[in-house]
Amino acid sequence: MSSNFNSFDPKVLRKTVLEMAYAGSTVHIGCAFSIIELLAVLYRSHLRYPENDPHNPNRDYLVLSKGHGVMAQYACMRELGWLKDEEFLNYFSDGSNLKGLSDSRIPGLEVTSGSLGHGFSVGVGLAMGAKLHHTDQKIFVLVGDGEINEGPIWEGSLFAAHHNLNNFMVIVDENGFQAMGSTKEVLDLDSIQAKFESFGFEAITIDGHDESAINSGIIQLWESGSESPKAIIAKTIKGKGVPFMENNNTWHYTRLTPETYAQALLVVEESQ
Amino acid sequence: MRDALSKALVHIAKENPNVLLITGDHGYTLFDDFRKECPEQYINAGIAEQNMVGMAAGLARTGFRPFVYGLSSFIPLRVLEQIKLDVAHDNLPVVFIGDGAGFVYSHLGTSHQSTEDIACARVIPSLSVYSPADRFEITACMEMAYQTKGPVYLRIGKADRGDIHRELPTLKSNSLLNVKVGKLGSYSIISTGSMVRTAMNIVNSSYPDMAVWSVPIVKPINYNQVASICSQSKAIIVLEEHSKYGGLGSLVAEIASKFSPVRILSIAVDDKFSDKCGTYEYLLQEHGLDRITIEQSIHNFLLGN
Repeated sequence: MSSNFNSFDPKVLRKTVLEMAYAGSTVHIGCAFSIIELLAVLYRSHLRYPENDPHNPNRDYLVLSKGHGVMAQYACMRELGWLKDEEFLNYFSDGSNLKGLSDSRIPGLEVTSGSLGHGFSVGVGLAMGAKLHHTDQKIFVLVGDGEINEGPIWEGSLFAAHHNLNNFMVIVDENGFQAMGSTKEVLDLDSIQAKFESFGFEAITIDGHDESAINSGIIQLWESGSESPKAIIAKTIKGKGVPFMENNNTWHYTRLTPETYAQALLVVEESQ
Repeated sequence: MRDALSKALVHIAKENPNVLLITGDHGYTLFDDFRKECPEQYINAGIAEQNMVGMAAGLARTGFRPFVYGLSSFIPLRVLEQIKLDVAHDNLPVVFIGDGAGFVYSHLGTSHQSTEDIACARVIPSLSVYSPADRFEITACMEMAYQTKGPVYLRIGKADRGDIHRELPTLKSNSLLNVKVGKLGSYSIISTGSMVRTAMNIVNSSYPDMAVWSVPIVKPINYNQVASICSQSKAIIVLEEHSKYGGLGSLVAEIASKFSPVRILSIAVDDKFSDKCGTYEYLLQEHGLDRITIEQSIHNFLLGN
């Protein structure tokens, strides 16, 4: 995919998320903000959509297993022209298409997620399918760190490693929080990289807001030549980009008011 | 019946190289022929049913035709959400084969017994539910599941109770199959799976006027046909090795109450788990599904009690 037409500027993406979250008076803003740079780099430099067609059978797959971050993906799809401006202005209005969690019936969204731990296994199946069809398609699955509490993540990891699915890459959005608290308080994950390594993945940990680190991390893993499935542990900040939201888990469930919306827009617009 | 299943799988897989058989480490010798004939199309996903179903959805999205095999106490019950969200929501062509339904694993206890599966599967939109009664119905159901190109749950219960049909039945328009012709205006038994054999035995020896209908396609059911059977019968007896809640009895009652109200006796599993273990026949007796208890239930019903 060409990067000439769409810059996937994180500032613009965050602005779009704020606009639609305010229009729809909805939640999960923090969950979307932690994956903005990850999605920007994937769409800008890695995902291949022949003819820019979200349904093209030869596409690379981006599976948003953590469906709660879907507004960030909508924002990228707006850059691609797959979604229209009015869909953002009318977010959550009666009869509208874009839901609060990822839904496979929207072109560009691969799975229906929000019930967590599903997309990972679907991604493993896509990777197995690509291998059996002898294609060079790549499968990226974006999961939350809270999400990896779910058992199927580890069932799928065993399978991916056993079958040498080196076309499969899981990206863990390690923002350190889940719905009701920090991951350390709820179910301590310890080293996520070590966990995936022990399951047979080739894994690295990077700064999930450093676009060049994300880009080189992805390239490094694809080019390693190993047979193992890949894992990127992206250290991120929940609510990244708006200081009063950052690492403040109330923004998992808080809705914008006219005041907080104006404040948030201002800091995003003034950011570098 | 299991031989018919194995043959059907091999036949379909040889016809279409995109057919995959995925098992959750179950099947024992059932797949010996398949593994010999189509080794590249066989995947043992390990004891990891949730991942297996999600993965089947991914494979179906890339053009494969997965047949997912497990025990019916796990497929569909344990993975119902994966079936709903990953497969049925997008109408993907994945066939779920749930083996050992009802009390087949009579000695193993509740974990391996499955009397809730039809109820659970029926409520998932776009998921078809098949419940064959003998080897001929299995062959026909497998072919239909393959041709349907949408998600199907195929329930396989006690497999060795004898043939119902003499040849392959035609399942066009999701028909109920009239396996024993009755006298017009008499009673009709509507049954499915293992209990069709029991219904036939009882009717042949004690109630020659009664009709027996087998229901291999539980969903989508042919409403008109059920309504017509109800309207032409003095009363209906529904017989199934499944919970009284949400199974064939409920389904017939839903249709009858709307289109053709009629008295219905539902002979099915009460709202309880197995207490003891023993042979299959013993377990049927514990749940009131042995032939003697069923005959008594029918007798009382005919007396109006």
